[in-house]
Amino acid sequence: MSMSKKYWRGLSELNESPEFLKQHQSEFAEPLPIDEFLNGEEEEKSGTSRRDFLKVMGFSTAAVALAACETPVNKAIPYIVKPEEVTPGVANWYASTFYDGHDYASVLVKTREGRPVKIEGNEFSKITNGATSARVQASVLGLYDGARLAGPVLKGAYTTWKNADDAVGKALGSGNAVLLTSTVISPSTKAVVAEFTAKYPNAKHVTYDAVSYSALNAANKNVFGKSVVSSYNFNKAKTIVGIACDFLGTWLSPVEFANQYSKTRKVSKENPEMSKHYHFEANLSLTGANADYRYMVKPSEYGKVVAALYNEVAGATGGSKVSGETKLGNAEAEKAIAKIAKELVENKGNSLVVAGANDEGIQTLVNGINKMLDNYGKTVDYVNHSNLKQANDKAFIDLVADMGAGKVSVLMTHNCNPVYTAPASLKFADAYKKVATKVSFSIQMDETSQMADVVCPDNHYLESWGDANPKAGHFSLQQPTINQIFSAPRYEGTRQFQDTLLAWAGVKSNYYTYLQAYWQNHVFPQQGKYLDFASFWAHTLHDGVLKVNVAKETPAVVMAKDSAGMPIMSGIATAIAEAMDSVKTEEVKTTPVKETVAAEAMPTPDYNKAAAMATSVKGGAFELAVYEKIGLGNGNQSNNPWLMELPDPISKVTWDNYITMAPADVKTMGMNEMLRQDIMGSIATITVNGVSVTAPVYPQPGQAPGTIGLALGYGRNSKALKVANGIGVNAFGFLNVSNETIQFASPSVTITKTDDTHKFSATQVQHTIMGREEAILREVSLNEYKTKDQEVWNPATLIQTHDGKVPIAEVDLWDDYARPNHKWGLTIDMTSCIGCAACVVACSAENNVAVVGKKEIGRTRDMYWLRIDRYYSSDMTKDKAEAEHIGYKQMNLDLETPSNNPKVSFQPMMCQHCNHAPCETVCPVLATSHSNEGLNMMTYNRCIGTRYCANNCPFKVRRFNWFNYNANEWFADFNPAQQELGRMVLNPDVVVRSRGVMEKCSMCAQRLQAGKLEAKKAGAPLVDGSIRTACQQACPTNAIMFGDVNDENSEISKWRNGNRNYVMLEDLGVKPTVSYLVKVRNQEEAIHNEEKHEEHKEEKHEEKHA
Amino acid sequence: MNSRMFQFSFKSLLGIAMMLVLFSGNMKAEDGAKLFKQNCAVCHASHTDQKLTGPGLKGVFDRIPPGDWVKRWILNNEKMIKGGDPYASKIFSENGKAAMTVFEGQIDDKGVDAIIAFLKGPAPVVVLPGKPVGGTGNEGEEVKPGIEPLYFVLGSIVLLAIFITTFRSVRTSLQNSANRTEGKPENPDMTFFEEARHWISGHRRLVGVLCIVVGFMGMKSCWDACYDIGVYYDWKTQKGYHPDQPIKFSHKIHAGENEIACQYCHNTVEKSRHAGIPSVNVCMNCHKGIQEGPTTGKTEIAKIYAAAGFNPTTQKYDVSKTNPLSWLKVHNLPDHVYFNHSQHVVVGKIECAKCHGDVKAMTTVEQKAPLTMRWCVDCHRTTEVAMAGNAYYDRLHKALKEKYKGQYDVKFTVDKIGGLECGKCHY
Repeated sequence: MSMSKKYWRGLSELNESPEFLKQHQSEFAEPLPIDEFLNGEEEEKSGTSRRDFLKVMGFSTAAVALAACETPVNKAIPYIVKPEEVTPGVANWYASTFYDGHDYASVLVKTREGRPVKIEGNEFSKITNGATSARVQASVLGLYDGARLAGPVLKGAYTTWKNADDAVGKALGSGNAVLLTSTVISPSTKAVVAEFTAKYPNAKHVTYDAVSYSALNAANKNVFGKSVVSSYNFNKAKTIVGIACDFLGTWLSPVEFANQYSKTRKVSKENPEMSKHYHFEANLSLTGANADYRYMVKPSEYGKVVAALYNEVAGATGGSKVSGETKLGNAEAEKAIAKIAKELVENKGNSLVVAGANDEGIQTLVNGINKMLDNYGKTVDYVNHSNLKQANDKAFIDLVADMGAGKVSVLMTHNCNPVYTAPASLKFADAYKKVATKVSFSIQMDETSQMADVVCPDNHYLESWGDANPKAGHFSLQQPTINQIFSAPRYEGTRQFQDTLLAWAGVKSNYYTYLQAYWQNHVFPQQGKYLDFASFWAHTLHDGVLKVNVAKETPAVVMAKDSAGMPIMSGIATAIAEAMDSVKTEEVKTTPVKETVAAEAMPTPDYNKAAAMATSVKGGAFELAVYEKIGLGNGNQSNNPWLMELPDPISKVTWDNYITMAPADVKTMGMNEMLRQDIMGSIATITVNGVSVTAPVYPQPGQAPGTIGLALGYGRNSKALKVANGIGVNAFGFLNVSNETIQFASPSVTITKTDDTHKFSATQVQHTIMGREEAILREVSLNEYKTKDQEVWNPATLIQTHDGKVPIAEVDLWDDYARPNHKWGLTIDMTSCIGCAACVVACSAENNVAVVGKKEIGRTRDMYWLRIDRYYSSDMTKDKAEAEHIGYKQMNLDLETPSNNPKVSFQPMMCQHCNHAPCETVCPVLATSHSNEGLNMMTYNRCIGTRYCANNCPFKVRRFNWFNYNANEWFADFNPAQQELGRMVLNPDVVVRSRGVMEKCSMCAQRLQAGKLEAKKAGAPLVDGSIRTACQQACPTNAIMFGDVNDENSEISKWRNGNRNYVMLEDLGVKPTVSYLVKVRNQEEAIHNEEKHEEHKEEKHEEKHA
Repeated sequence: MNSRMFQFSFKSLLGIAMMLVLFSGNMKAEDGAKLFKQNCAVCHASHTDQKLTGPGLKGVFDRIPPGDWVKRWILNNEKMIKGGDPYASKIFSENGKAAMTVFEGQIDDKGVDAIIAFLKGPAPVVVLPGKPVGGTGNEGEEVKPGIEPLYFVLGSIVLLAIFITTFRSVRTSLQNSANRTEGKPENPDMTFFEEARHWISGHRRLVGVLCIVVGFMGMKSCWDACYDIGVYYDWKTQKGYHPDQPIKFSHKIHAGENEIACQYCHNTVEKSRHAGIPSVNVCMNCHKGIQEGPTTGKTEIAKIYAAAGFNPTTQKYDVSKTNPLSWLKVHNLPDHVYFNHSQHVVVGKIECAKCHGDVKAMTTVEQKAPLTMRWCVDCHRTTEVAMAGNAYYDRLHKALKEKYKGQYDVKFTVDKIGGLECGKCHY
């Protein structure tokens, strides 16, 4: 088709004017200013042509390209004198203790070339048994936090230690000094404090815990005459009742309790028994999510639940009942209490009731219940008590009053941040201003340090010596695993709190010597295994922990000094004698625990008074329950990007705190009741007693109607904390003081909707499994597990062929490959998994998984190699739809909606290492391939980033590097790999991935290779259990098992030979290397529809005949 | 490669010949040389005046009392000094009263005789120790250098050009004369290129096919060349990279002449992924005594002292004056490759020289292997796994024997146990 039309650019072209014709010859209408650009004024003379310009361009391009080809010179700088224990390229492990004033764990610290890179649990510990939590795992990053102070600060400017010491020394000379710390569990530190108070008799030590457990102390005082926190043995409990007590996630000693709890839930063919767990709470906590039965009650009803339970148990055991209101808003919960009491009494001595509320009345009643149930000395123990959380709220409240009245001249805060954490009603900040000399030992410029006159930064715990006595009879040591990062000559340096205190107390010795002397005098004599102190010290330091059979009190007293002012640490020969002497002399002052109890008459607890106290709270239309998150806890680690980005195990929301409300309430208030990455959430303002915050609203299934949850640890207000500053709101303001204890629930809240909206960033926005339980998430009730055929609850997946239905294993599109040496396998016990996310942080730390920030997560670009899928149950099921003739569309819509009080399931999800991997077949460059050990390997340097593999992955576990997270300035503020210090945490055995490549779980290939190499070098077969993946090591509940499936005797083979083993999406025939064990719930209601199963069976039967 | 092979073999032949000439019939002196290196060389130079910790031993037998004095001195100098031997006391005080090691019980009489024989003999010629790479067992044969393939190709091209021009002119003249006889017009006088174009236009299909073939071959060789790309030294690999180090440390002197084992300095090679650059304190083990070197005198060794903060005159260390040495890394692997020395040395029982070449002959260390992935893979394809006697491999060995049952001459090379898999080195 030819063009008959002609277009003109203008009249001049149509008329072919001479100007046009002249211009028509040249390419550009006006001459380009190239010459000007190149030569400026000399344009006329040189007459640089376009060619010259191009030549210059070409030359410079070539020059740049050639310069890039120059040999990069790598340097190798060896030690001057190599420390004997350091071998470059080989990790050293040191046993140490994690205690941040909040959580305790005995840990092993992995160091490479002298820098800690990973924290793992210490299996020698009889308390934590090698368990860790997300916060413990993440604590190593705190060491390399750029927000740490590099030296003492005087009036807002860095100064020398001498100046700081002088300033404080002058202030201490006169007036009343108060040392305010969180609970100190270190006996030697208590002695150091005693040294200090001996030097300054006007000084006082006050203990304050941001998250208070004051009522536990008070209740034990009421019932047993001892102001202690009991220790708990969940592993002996067959029936567990929790009342708003998140003991698996945040309460008291969650690492220890999660480990104990899981021991009661190891169900197998041989031992088909497990504990039964009832839970009452308002917010859906991690513990509530794991309970077999969960009841939604309002915070004001916690006391009523306890009182009702007390009365039921008393009725069954012949005790006297208490009076008090026991009517609950939730009829189902009220009805259940009688049944629960019956079960508790049936398991007398093997049951446990715990409550989380910081209310003396509630805790006294709980003690009464446990006493009636004969649980003391079995599942709960006040004799071998816990030493955690010794704070007495009244002491703190009195202190704030004293400060306000100007009675305190020096306030020294250690391991606590009261300006941030104190309840708003106490007006701590105002009182703090009235203190003449404010001293902080904080390692960061936190809210309290900002207001302090002198900041004497402490060392990080990985740089410190120390000890701990977390429970009577259990000791652990803490040792530095790195030299102080901030030290002379580059910085003035940090100084350990104890050293500072010793210096101020005028003790000549440093804390390390003092610690050794203390142990020689007070701990060494308690054990009988080692005869000389030197080998005792060496062995205990190696093990990290010490358990003594007969626990004696470790005295917090001044130690004897020699003439030089050093604490007397007698020589080896006289060690025992002297140590015994010192104990003897101290026995006069502090008698052993047991005797104290025997000597003192037991008080007569007034349970009626307690009940009146517990049930007196009147709830309003909305009640607020402030809670701790798994990631941030009380907020002392909130500047840690790993924890900030960690998806909340329940809500899966990252980088945020928010108001949680029941979806029904959200709907009633006309707010957005959906969570999606593309829909903005609503924002509301909540006000309690004049304190109000504005925060986004998250519709949380399982939240008790009429209640509001808000997490602690956010809303930091310090510019120095780059990661945490300004994220979320501070919920500590809502803590309130009643009955001289700090309460976490507010009975009356007003909530008003605002017109603003907020974008959530969540790693999972879908709530339910959408009726695909059989393929993905298999569950069974304990009863069915015991009585029914495996075919009912864990059936083999069948596939239709022309010969009828056959098990999927018999049909294969692909060839089978031999795995002659190892065949790795990973199995996850979903009954044990509590969803605590310790594995997620461990995986990130081990594999250098990038932190991507809120914005990228909101675009579903999180980089987690290991995620934990959380599923809520729905009221709708396929069976129900069939029975009630509900249409397909309606059924699916309803399936999306979780129940009001859903059952929750957690499913850790990582690369399944399919033996017939769909990702491998679509990679155009063979960047992902299969090993002869059954693993799917990802080769980053080969990957060209087509992302076909991620599209073809049925498990959606592959992660694409959209950016160069370790260099792109968008991520500079929070990605540790971009900071001079932060990048020290990177694991040198794992590549830091760059932009444009796909990555995913490698099943810790670096650990496998290292483990195999050790065996090869030793010339011995690989020992089962010698290789453990990072997630497996971190797991507090031993829910993850890794091993060689080719080895018939390996633990994983035993797991897989049990009847609970299944693989995900088996019908796809991808043959995953990862398998799961069916989740067993200890509930009466059947999960599987047997009739339906019978039909299936008959169908199959017929088919076979046909 | 061929020429290098030749070089090595030639050098070794030369060395062996010299050794034979020097030490034939004088086995004593040969043993003595060895003993001297092991026991005495740290403090004495054998055939020069150079003073190390002890005096140089050139012409020593002219200085000392005759008879068995020297023997007694070597075995137990302490006894002689205490016994008041005048010459013994003299040299003791002359040498700063630094006591010599007592060798009684360490070296027997025969050994001492051998050392004396060695010292009386001529100065040793530096002999390149070790087997030449690739020249094993062929010492007796002359290894002929092969013709370089490049010359071969060039020669062929020249020959072909000559052939083409000759045949072309012959054909043109023949055809012209034929045309002339037949009365046809003469072919136009075309240049070679015109003719070529003419021919091409007549054989388009053939030329097209040829172009495709050549094109594919080119692409294939480009692809192959990609395997050899390294960014470091020459355009292909970093082979031959030999940077000047901050100290002119000579492996030839240390590992070659003094026969110090590789593992003495690179002492983490059996434990770690890194062989380890020795820390300065390892250097000082010997150089506290040896303050002067044979080629550079005191200048280079002084650099060690500067690094260690050591004062050679007072023999004292000053920790505040230490200054780490920045060696230049010669063998560089990209960050995305995991290589483990201990795997190869302990488990694979690979000699250092297999990858690092004859370091004992290098004054400046040079990268001998290309360190490309092809090079790794080639070796993994040909190297047998040392399975025998290693219980770790028992199960695998059994399985492989079962798999290749009945097949003759099967080698269980690294690739057969998964040594070519991506995830074994890249993670």
